[in-house]
Amino acid sequence: MNADSDTIVGISTAPGAAGIAIVRISGTESLAIADQIIRCNRRISSLAGNNMAHGFVADGNDIDEVVVLVFKAPHSYTREDVVEIQGHGGSICARRILSAVLRHGARMAEPGEFTKRAFLNGRIDLVQAEAVIDLINAQSERAASSAIEQLEGKLSDYIRTCYDKMLTAAADLEYSLDFEEGDLGDDYFRKIAELVENVNVTLEEILNTWEEGVLLREGLKIVISGPPNAGKSTLLNGLLGRNRSIVSETPGTTRDTIEEQSVLEGIPVRYVDTAGLRDASCTVEQDGVRRAKESIATAGINIRVIDGSAPLEASQKPEEWPNADHWLIVLNKADLGLVMRKSDFPVNLRCVECCLHDETGIKTVRDALKVMINISTGSTMPHATISERHRAMIQYAQNELNECMILLKQRGEESAAEAAAALRRATEKVGEITGHFYTDDLLTKVFSRFCVGK
Amino acid sequence: MNFEIIVVGGGHAGCEAALAAARLGAKTVLITPKKETVARMPCNPSIGGIAKSHLVHELQALGGEIGRNADATGIQFRTLNTRKGPAVRATRIQCDKAAYSKRMLNVLETTPNLHIAEQLMTEFLIESNTVVGVIMDNGELLYSAAVIFCPGTSLGGTIHVGDVKEPGGGDGAPASHGITEQLRELGFRISRLKTGTPPRLDKVTIDYNAMEIQPGDYPPPLFSDPLELPSLFHVEHPETAQIPCFLTHTTAKTHEIIRSNLSRSSLYGGHIVGTGVRYCPSVEDKIVKFPNHASHHVFIEPEGVTSPLAYPNGISNSLPRDVQDALVASIPGLASARIIKYGYAIEYDYSDPTQLFPSLETKLIKGLFFAGQINGTTGYEEAAAQGFMAAINAVRMVRNQNPIILRRDEAYIGILIDDLVTKGTDEPYRMFTSRAERRLLLRQDNAQFRLCGRAGEIGVVDQAILKETNIAELRIATEIKRLNSLRVGSHSCLELLRRPEVKYGDLPCALNSLSGRLVCELENRVKYEGYIMRETKDAARMSGIESTLIPDSFDYVSTPSLRIEAREKFLRIRPRTLGQAVRIPGITPADISILAVFLRRHSASIRNQL
Repeated sequence: MNADSDTIVGISTAPGAAGIAIVRISGTESLAIADQIIRCNRRISSLAGNNMAHGFVADGNDIDEVVVLVFKAPHSYTREDVVEIQGHGGSICARRILSAVLRHGARMAEPGEFTKRAFLNGRIDLVQAEAVIDLINAQSERAASSAIEQLEGKLSDYIRTCYDKMLTAAADLEYSLDFEEGDLGDDYFRKIAELVENVNVTLEEILNTWEEGVLLREGLKIVISGPPNAGKSTLLNGLLGRNRSIVSETPGTTRDTIEEQSVLEGIPVRYVDTAGLRDASCTVEQDGVRRAKESIATAGINIRVIDGSAPLEASQKPEEWPNADHWLIVLNKADLGLVMRKSDFPVNLRCVECCLHDETGIKTVRDALKVMINISTGSTMPHATISERHRAMIQYAQNELNECMILLKQRGEESAAEAAAALRRATEKVGEITGHFYTDDLLTKVFSRFCVGK
Repeated sequence: MNFEIIVVGGGHAGCEAALAAARLGAKTVLITPKKETVARMPCNPSIGGIAKSHLVHELQALGGEIGRNADATGIQFRTLNTRKGPAVRATRIQCDKAAYSKRMLNVLETTPNLHIAEQLMTEFLIESNTVVGVIMDNGELLYSAAVIFCPGTSLGGTIHVGDVKEPGGGDGAPASHGITEQLRELGFRISRLKTGTPPRLDKVTIDYNAMEIQPGDYPPPLFSDPLELPSLFHVEHPETAQIPCFLTHTTAKTHEIIRSNLSRSSLYGGHIVGTGVRYCPSVEDKIVKFPNHASHHVFIEPEGVTSPLAYPNGISNSLPRDVQDALVASIPGLASARIIKYGYAIEYDYSDPTQLFPSLETKLIKGLFFAGQINGTTGYEEAAAQGFMAAINAVRMVRNQNPIILRRDEAYIGILIDDLVTKGTDEPYRMFTSRAERRLLLRQDNAQFRLCGRAGEIGVVDQAILKETNIAELRIATEIKRLNSLRVGSHSCLELLRRPEVKYGDLPCALNSLSGRLVCELENRVKYEGYIMRETKDAARMSGIESTLIPDSFDYVSTPSLRIEAREKFLRIRPRTLGQAVRIPGITPADISILAVFLRRHSASIRNQL
């Protein structure tokens, strides 16, 4: 259970294209956290309420140039100390600021939580409270499909395994504390320390793959593929508005995948330009084709560029349409007269006819992509924030496990109670992810592992 | 006859309740079948042990009697978990059972305002959902404003030895009948629990040479301040005057005997329906559930100086007598031991403790309080803690004062009662240190300090003692400051003392004038400062919801948006604080948010009406 005295943080602006994004922090630690992450010619906490400052958010490296607004309790929306960080629009910057704040001890706000605090602290009136209830109900519906189900299957299995191992270690430790069973020996505590260390390694691995996952999620992957010389690189350059790929008349110019970051509809995207799909002769090119196919398989959106002025060769046919929703067919070279038409493709497939050499052709593709992004981001955005929250929880658990392990290794049985306290905090935190309750699970575990009592 | 408080039952809950009520000046009567049976120990002959010792120290700090009674009648004194840090260190005292009971009776009889009625209670007198007194089996009526009911295992008690069963309250006490029926009629949910006890051996027939001796500690650790006990009942506790315990074990033969007779055990023969204790399993349980264990400990504990009985701790069972004979004989040192009293299992009625407010008053009947095993607990210490708190709150109710509810982060007693009234229990509930969220704050050594304020509020402990505690607190704080200012080489004395291997006495500037207790408390505060601060901070983080009271008038039924399940649970438990509401099993954070919002609205509307 989160106490209402926690410091919470959230991105207050809606995702999408906007000039600025606002990250809002509320609670007793807000000013202290702002001091730690904002580089500014004066300390944020020294500002009077209702004041602003200019500075940089930095957590190691500079993240964003920002304007900071300070509201001091009780003169704020939540009647707590509130810091609003206004950074550049688009979600990458906001998300980085968010994770910096989380790393310095704030907790991700639940939906409606700022408003809930405003109400609980007497800031808004009773009529508005009804709206708060709606928000909370929305939250509980989401909670009903428990947090763990929102994680990817394999990951949640790993975390469950970790929880179980932590519980086993905790049971062994608690057994040594709650039952007088004579001298258990140093070995007993060393083994617990090893188990804890083992869990910590697994958590580290989870965190690593998770960070990769978050990075992936930071950009929606749009893969451009198609036969050689269909106009893939022209499309990429057109979308980016500059020359990145080498464009030439010679088929097979792009021998490897090329990645570019950009923003579309306020959503970060990663364009991947692939080697032309053909039966390549040289090994370098074969490699490029193989990588192109890998990219296609992992894309959020696939664009298949086809030269519409020539008949489709058998080898150029989209080999399969695993998820037609994510495919966009671009029939290029309309200026040369199309022999392939939209109607030649299945009706459920998005398809545009255009000439990529002029600006209207690029715009046609971009508009089609925007429609597709708006459909797909509805589901991808919340996932990214949830994983941020879980990441912070796992990092917290790791620190506690580390403390537990060091105590046990250095002082063994003498430090068992302190080690157990750290292990308990870690296990409770991971239990929050998996939806388990420490005390109940713990005693059951102790009784199943040990024959206790005289 | 008219009283302010009636206490029914003279076990550990009842004695503590009667004493606390009378010491607060309430005119009190204790009803017990026979004076001589008060404060009996029908199971193991010791007070304290891990986590239970914490309860006793807390009672000692608040003005309970159990600690002093154990100190005065102890025959072996030990500190457990000595190597594991102060949070789990615990005192255990083996007592002379007869002396324990006798001294407690003496305290009861010499306490002003306290009367003892040697009777059986047969019925509660109830008027419009309020208890007004009790009827006794001689037909006499006793009237009072509050009744504290502590029947132990006597309600519907059934004793099982093998396939033989007979009614009984345990340890030779009668079972009471009729009261369960009345409680059910009043609407109480009543179920069955089971517990058991080992056979008692004739101590002179035991061969102690075949066993490992377990001597007591010297100097003897006590629950109370030795200065409060000018003359200890039994001995002046020189090392040799303590009576040792002995350790032996079950053998392959023991296990074989039990296995081949399982069908004759009342537990495994299907004669018992009540739920048993997982952590105090019968020897049948141990062998069935842990088939890989070749052997289990058996502790031979004396029941008293003059008592002929020895208590073989570890072989509680409900097997037929002939099997018990064979079983005992298969244990090293007990080949020719004679059983004086056979082991038995006892089934008894208990009332679902979620039917109580945290004050231990029942929600159904005003003025009726339950304490001890009727609430599903096991253990003398757990019973004593409930008896004490029930009496405090009964007296406060009579005097129109708010109840005193100890929080989970201030006392194990608070954890015990909160767990019971919030979560209920379906097996006999025993205290463990792992039940405490902030274990490092709840040490036995600091009970006197952390509960000094509460003791003042309660009013049983003498003001002079509380004043001394405050002075001691001040001395510790002053000494910590002093140690911080004195330097040895490049370190302050305080820094030196933080090291695990350094003791206060090792410091060149150590004062001789600090008592052993103060030194212990000082060392713990200094050495564990970081951990203690961490837990204090965690506790403070939760203090908001823990101190948000939910008025009893709060209307869950017309609170929109609450899930049906949440509403039913809130209505059933009627949590006193938001913190308690959080702990109700099955309640989600979203339920609490909604409750918090409407609580705010509720209090606003009450303000508007004023």
